[in-house]
Amino acid sequence: MNVTEIEPKSAAVGVRADTPRDVANKSDKDRLLRAIRMSLDIESTTVRANTQLFNRGRYRAVAELPDYDALKDQARRIKEKSIASLPELIPILKSSVRAHGGHVFVANTAEDACRYILDVCHWRAAKMVVKGKSITSEEIRLNHILEKEGIEVVESDLAEFILQLADEQPSHFLAPALHYSRERITALFKRKFKTELPLDTGEELTRFARERLRDKFLYADVGITGANLIAADTGTLMLVESEGNIRLASYLPPVHIAIAGVEKIIPTRQEMAPFLDLLSASAVGQKMSVYTSFLSPPLTDPPFALPGKPMKPREFHLVLIDNGRMQMREDPVFKEALNCIRCGACLNSCANFQTVGGHAFGGETYSGGIGGSWEAGTSKLENARFSEMCTGCTRCVNQCPVRIDIPWLNENLARQLNQKELPATLRSVLGSVTGAATEDRSAPIAKIFFGNYHYFAKWGTRFSSIANLISGDSKKRHKDGEGEVKETISPARLLMERWLGLDHRRGLPPFPKQTLVQAARQLTAPSSKGRDTKVVVFADVFTNYGMARRGIATIEVLRALGADVVVSESVPEGRAALSQGMIATAKLHARRAAMELDSHVSDGRDIVVVEPSSLSMFRREFSHLLDSKERFERFRSRAFEPVEYVVRMLAKSGRMAQQVFDISKSKVGYRLFFHAHCQQKTIGCEEPTLALFRELGFDVVTSNVECCGMAGSFGYKKDFYDLSMAVGADLFGQVVQQDRNGGTRQIVASGTSCTEQMHAGFDRSVLHPMEILASLLEVQESAAKLGELEEEDRELESDVASLKRGRKEVSKS
Amino acid sequence: MVDLAATFEENAMEASAMVWRCERTPLSLRKAVGLAAHKARGIVLSEPEFLGDSLIAGLRGLAGFIPRPDDDQLATADAGVTEAFAGVASTGSVCVALGRPLVSATSLLMPLNIVLLARERIVARPRDLFDPECLKGEGLKRNLVFITGPSATADMGPLVHGVHGPHRLLVLLLE
Repeated sequence: MNVTEIEPKSAAVGVRADTPRDVANKSDKDRLLRAIRMSLDIESTTVRANTQLFNRGRYRAVAELPDYDALKDQARRIKEKSIASLPELIPILKSSVRAHGGHVFVANTAEDACRYILDVCHWRAAKMVVKGKSITSEEIRLNHILEKEGIEVVESDLAEFILQLADEQPSHFLAPALHYSRERITALFKRKFKTELPLDTGEELTRFARERLRDKFLYADVGITGANLIAADTGTLMLVESEGNIRLASYLPPVHIAIAGVEKIIPTRQEMAPFLDLLSASAVGQKMSVYTSFLSPPLTDPPFALPGKPMKPREFHLVLIDNGRMQMREDPVFKEALNCIRCGACLNSCANFQTVGGHAFGGETYSGGIGGSWEAGTSKLENARFSEMCTGCTRCVNQCPVRIDIPWLNENLARQLNQKELPATLRSVLGSVTGAATEDRSAPIAKIFFGNYHYFAKWGTRFSSIANLISGDSKKRHKDGEGEVKETISPARLLMERWLGLDHRRGLPPFPKQTLVQAARQLTAPSSKGRDTKVVVFADVFTNYGMARRGIATIEVLRALGADVVVSESVPEGRAALSQGMIATAKLHARRAAMELDSHVSDGRDIVVVEPSSLSMFRREFSHLLDSKERFERFRSRAFEPVEYVVRMLAKSGRMAQQVFDISKSKVGYRLFFHAHCQQKTIGCEEPTLALFRELGFDVVTSNVECCGMAGSFGYKKDFYDLSMAVGADLFGQVVQQDRNGGTRQIVASGTSCTEQMHAGFDRSVLHPMEILASLLEVQESAAKLGELEEEDRELESDVASLKRGRKEVSKS
Repeated sequence: MVDLAATFEENAMEASAMVWRCERTPLSLRKAVGLAAHKARGIVLSEPEFLGDSLIAGLRGLAGFIPRPDDDQLATADAGVTEAFAGVASTGSVCVALGRPLVSATSLLMPLNIVLLARERIVARPRDLFDPECLKGEGLKRNLVFITGPSATADMGPLVHGVHGPHRLLVLLLE
């Protein structure tokens, strides 16, 4: 790649391209959307390569930790205990540091912290400060304050060195210049240093930077570092790094200042132990970072004094920063964010972050899924608007070494942002008609629409012919005066785009003539006599109104295995509302679903949920939405993914899979490409499908993307359509790659939105695993019903196609 | 029974350190350090604490040895010899106790860092050093740095060894 190739696309048409600084503050939506465009144009390729490298390394490293889960529990307990006892730990820490001869200052605000550090620099007549990487120093804008006072600030971490040259904010709190390719760094160095030296390799660039920085270390008056953890009992700082610059900054200059948020304090040095293994594995995918220091400064070695540099006594200052943290600590939801140990695992495992990085999915300091809570907590709520890019896919949840429920934080941020909207009559009426909770009626119309999708799906299905006519064809083609065929967006889709934020380029699945509940009623249920396994198939909104065939296949397979199966009424369980930050509405929906299923559970029925995002509600999110832990546990312990349940039934009966399913009946061949839904993976329900298909003799490959990019309503939204498709490109590429290797594979996807995303990428059928299993049954009791539904689907598609043709004729005439 | 030394060796090499096994005699040690630092213009030795001066003494006769380096010599020397407080098998790290003269400098400033590690001071996992029963609980009291391979960065594109700290890390595992 040469330098011209990395110029933003917009530069080619003479428009001034946004820089990362231009779009750092995302308190308004426009800057968020510009930031996404900028990142997709310039940074995406490098960000994707680097985050995915970290991500693969992390999976490998944590797999090698034999007690990973126990370590996570231990770390979580230590952090929770520390946050709870912060007011007591701070004075203990002060005493410990002072006992060594150090100084401690607790700064209530960013301004207080900067003033104290500036005072220390003035007292010591400092002309130059050398800094190790410290995101907290970015938060308090320390460089700006010091430089204004004429003090030279040298960033010594190579990534921060790059950003200081480029005047950009970090895009990742572990690897701040993660968005920079080697080629862009070469171009930057050549431009800034006006040098002709060869800088075409990583080694040359590193040597060049090191030579410029070594003297700075030797002659600096003050060294500033952060701290990963601080032990109150001994005043020990834990400092983790790879380059050695933090060691130099804390060792060479006579004055060492460590800056840290108060949440970094833990009670004892001994309790730092579990973080030793966890931090490096989660952060950089290594068993241990190159340097992990445990220092109780000031150090006893004499400071460095080269000829011409006066010898000064060694001095240490610990600056503890509140800046909103103690207020976060009081918040029952956002105190969760204080547990963060800044490893970046949540950033690297996020499909959206992998695609645009922290300049889009981030604010002025903090980035990624966890970043929204930090921006809101240390500055203001509006600065956390980028948290809208968290789709709630939950892939970060299991990756967090201290078990922070990041999606829940972002859903709460969305809730607060919804409430900041000015009240409007239309929104209020729409909210009321759809049954949204009162507090959610101020949300934007698009959110009320997506959050109450069940309402629109119900009416859309009742009047499916009209609804499909309106929503089906997004483009209107007509000839202009010169006879050229022009395409314009159809008025209906234009209105939907303007009012509901539905991108006109995204195909909408047609509403069915028959819902799952209606179709299931027409099945002849076998006698329940002798059928000990009792199941209720939960008619989730997405399956009921969009993918009825999957539900029918599930019923058929479970009955064939000997279960007594009934189908619930279709009620929302809260997933759609939760994804829009409409938490009060999500609670209403969750309770409604629980009530609907109560009698079934009391009858001894297990709950089988076809749509993984709905199942995840029962397994995870109901813990926040139902009234008690007991209620949550009642449903969590009984809810299953269909294939997971099939595997359980087979194990219980002692039958081999081949005794029930005959692979020779397969109508789709034996080669499958299976894409598991993101939330399905998080709750551990990917493996049964893979294992069963492999046991049956299928040749199955899987995608290794964290999420398909559709993520429920996210990929439908005009604001995020391009990002959604850019994320999806990774998955599409994997399908194509696998097809090249031995021929086309049948695509199999468990999630409704994953299926829609696959349809956006390929003009091919996408099946649910249960549809394939149903076709392999020795006796297909409901084959007729499935055939009927297939026929209806075909008719529906044909109707929509003919309507489109009709409209074209009209437009021609 | 797990051979901690073998596990250490494997993991240290995975982290791009070099590991040489060396007999615990003054002559063997002098030979090994001399071989590793044969091109060095300046060799600096930190003050020993655990291995005993009689073992180390021979190193002071090596060509290029700087007996009492000033800061200028520290900034320009090529090789630093550091004694390890402990080794960690599961990560291949050496743990260096800071505080004695020249320990920080020898483990950080020179392009080549030679670390002397006594086999019996290898523990299984890093957290063991936070156990009050391990190595007399010294791990909980001292200023320490775990060093896992030479200093490195991936900020300039591909992984590069030798940033602000040593470019090469050689562990002499004393049998």
